[in-house]
Amino acid sequence: MKATVEESGTMNGNVMIELRNLTKFYGDTKAVDGVSLAVKAGEIFGFIGPNGAGKTTTIRMMGGVLAPTSGDILIGGIDMAKDPQAAKQMIGFIPDRPFLYEKLTGTEFLRFSADLYGVGEEAFLERSQRLLRQFSLDEWGNELVEAYSHGMKQRLIIVAALLHEPRVIIVDEPMVGLDPAGIKMVKDILRRLALGGTTIFMSTHTLAVAEDLCDRIGVISRGSVIAAGTVGELKAVAETQEADLEAVFLRLTREEAR
Amino acid sequence: MNEILTLLKPRLYSFKNSGSSAGAGGLRFRVYVFGAIGLAFWVGIFAVFFRVLTYFQGIAGLGDLLAVKLLSMVLLTFTALLIFSSIITALSKLYLSRDLMLVHSLPVAPRSIFLARWIESTVDSSWMVVLYSLPVFLSYGVVYGAGSFFYLAILLSFVPLCLTISALSAAVVMAVAVILPAGRIRTLIVAISVVLFVVLLLAFRLMRPEELTNPENFTSVVQYFRSLQTPGSALLPTTWVFDSIRAALSGARASSIFHLSLSLSFAGAAVCGTAWLSEVLYFRGYARAQTTPGRLFAASPRRPANWQKVLGLLSGPARAFVIKEVRTFFRDQTQWPQLFLIGALVAIYLYNFSVLPLERSPIRLTYLQNTISFLNMGLAVFVLTAVAARFVFPAVSMEGDAFWIVKAAPVPIRTFLWIKFFVYYLPLLVMTEILIVVTNLFLQVTPFMMALSTVTVFCMAPGVVAMAVGLGAVYPDFKSENPAQAATSFGGLVFMILCAGFIGIVALLEAGPTHAIFMAGVRNAHLTPLQWVWTAASFAAALTLCAAAVYVPMRLGEKRLSDLG
Repeated sequence: MKATVEESGTMNGNVMIELRNLTKFYGDTKAVDGVSLAVKAGEIFGFIGPNGAGKTTTIRMMGGVLAPTSGDILIGGIDMAKDPQAAKQMIGFIPDRPFLYEKLTGTEFLRFSADLYGVGEEAFLERSQRLLRQFSLDEWGNELVEAYSHGMKQRLIIVAALLHEPRVIIVDEPMVGLDPAGIKMVKDILRRLALGGTTIFMSTHTLAVAEDLCDRIGVISRGSVIAAGTVGELKAVAETQEADLEAVFLRLTREEAR
Repeated sequence: MNEILTLLKPRLYSFKNSGSSAGAGGLRFRVYVFGAIGLAFWVGIFAVFFRVLTYFQGIAGLGDLLAVKLLSMVLLTFTALLIFSSIITALSKLYLSRDLMLVHSLPVAPRSIFLARWIESTVDSSWMVVLYSLPVFLSYGVVYGAGSFFYLAILLSFVPLCLTISALSAAVVMAVAVILPAGRIRTLIVAISVVLFVVLLLAFRLMRPEELTNPENFTSVVQYFRSLQTPGSALLPTTWVFDSIRAALSGARASSIFHLSLSLSFAGAAVCGTAWLSEVLYFRGYARAQTTPGRLFAASPRRPANWQKVLGLLSGPARAFVIKEVRTFFRDQTQWPQLFLIGALVAIYLYNFSVLPLERSPIRLTYLQNTISFLNMGLAVFVLTAVAARFVFPAVSMEGDAFWIVKAAPVPIRTFLWIKFFVYYLPLLVMTEILIVVTNLFLQVTPFMMALSTVTVFCMAPGVVAMAVGLGAVYPDFKSENPAQAATSFGGLVFMILCAGFIGIVALLEAGPTHAIFMAGVRNAHLTPLQWVWTAASFAAALTLCAAAVYVPMRLGEKRLSDLG
């Protein structure tokens, strides 16, 4: 039942993210087992799966934070193992937990990110002000990050990830810690970015968000992608016509667990 | 009581399971290494005290008096260590630990939480002081031929002393935590302790103990001995412990038991009083600790120092890391008192050289000045090592949970490490060169020694800083609640040992040729061709070693961080 590259996306043309037989061992434990995927430019790809299925490990490998045991990660055709700097330059990485430098102010952290990603001074000033306002952080820019709430830190990380206008956004549980207004804001922004050609790869536990936002969804269980496609295609794979993604998800993962 | 035991179980289970977790082999190795070093210190303390007490015994009339005074000084030192350690540990355990949120959400009375935390704090803050006080008292028992009651009295005396100090420290911490957020108290306590330490050190140094080498000053020594007779206050718990131990040593059991009873009953009262106080104060202080303390210095609305211009020559990523490193370092208030301490120690270091009584030495002055200058090279680099252990070695660990930012950034780990290196290298090189040049000026050394010292330090400083950065990356601890403590970890120990070896080998390589060149200068003679070859080879080997000390640890650190995860 494993999805292959061919099943989960086209290999030609404008593929922005490509995973080839990605595998990760932690000691003797196989956390990710031969995952192969392809995501096209402008596509929002959702990654769902039970706890401990390998979502975060896969996302961290894609962000260059974790090295795979074997397999390849190509971002915009650039191999993460061969030229990690060029690959990372294209990515806006948003982790699931908002750990930041607590002794910097919000604006200082954004300037730090801008310098790392080579954003010029003028572009930084324009984008940081716009994004801080957009994420309701404009009044907090001069405060130390240690004074921010969990949700504010999460929003600041998203702002930092968007600052260099990445062609690929890799995001782990984007809605964790956000209030309903924040969730709506993030959803709208991700949609708008995808329309502008940005590729978005997101893992989430919130199936409603995945169903609402994603063009295609990959289901991962026990380290392997067990199905990938549109919600309609997943229903067909799960041999169910039930209305929501939750039923499809439960059926697919239960079958895999047997 | 059951609640308290249950609250202590996670700690007990963690301790029990540490042997079976992943990496237990490495942990066991570290325990053995630390154990061996600890045992060597323990035996060393015993040997030193045994030697000193045996010597005292040989001084008729004055010897016993000195031994008793030494005992009271030892007790005073241990008490001071216990107080400092108890306050810092109680503050962390009661208000700053990461698991407190979970513990306070449990259906358990605040007093039970307090008592469970206080027990942990008491054990953590006192075990090492007790362990290293044992060889001291053992040496007293052996030298003075004390009976078994003495050893029992020692063990029984330490229980009330530790309990009393821990209970009173917790009470003070709880009272202050109601007024100040806990994070700020830690800074305050560290700052006060450092200031006190520096004042004591300065006071001791300005007494000019080197004057005691001058026989003309012996009248003051006689006056000092007279002051030894002064007893301590009868109302202090430390006096009861001291009296109990002294009585046990001289075989006066009744007096020892009396003072022991005083200590025990006071300890009981202190624990009960603090437990009662915890019902009133603990949760209020904990709630206050959850708020972020306001900034000591508000952010300026306009952009402060224009970093872009100042660091305009650097690439974007380098500039980003340099600015981040400098800002996070200076905004961490726990660093301030330590910087102050280093400033004071450097001043004392330089002052020491300005008052060295060289003219009273029987050795020829020029020879002595230059020998001291040569040894001072090693000493200055060792000062650099100590400073690097405290500030540079934890630099990678200080990234903490935010290390993902470095990994996700389009910047190689190598660049990240080299930026760390240069941020610390430049100020530390300046500090060490100031130490060496100023002390050489005080010593009035020859131009050759001045040149040799400054060049040697210039070549060794990058090695020490690179070892601190590189080994800090080889042994990172991103999960520590206080990354600055990395200096006292296994990796910190490895760093100190390697630096000591590095300093020793460079000094050995340079010692012979330096002596030959110096003596040739004194005799107005020339070096033989063989001596030239020997000199060139030795200095080349020292230079190669310095280069290796930079390259190897940085590569190892880069590899370790790249493989991490």
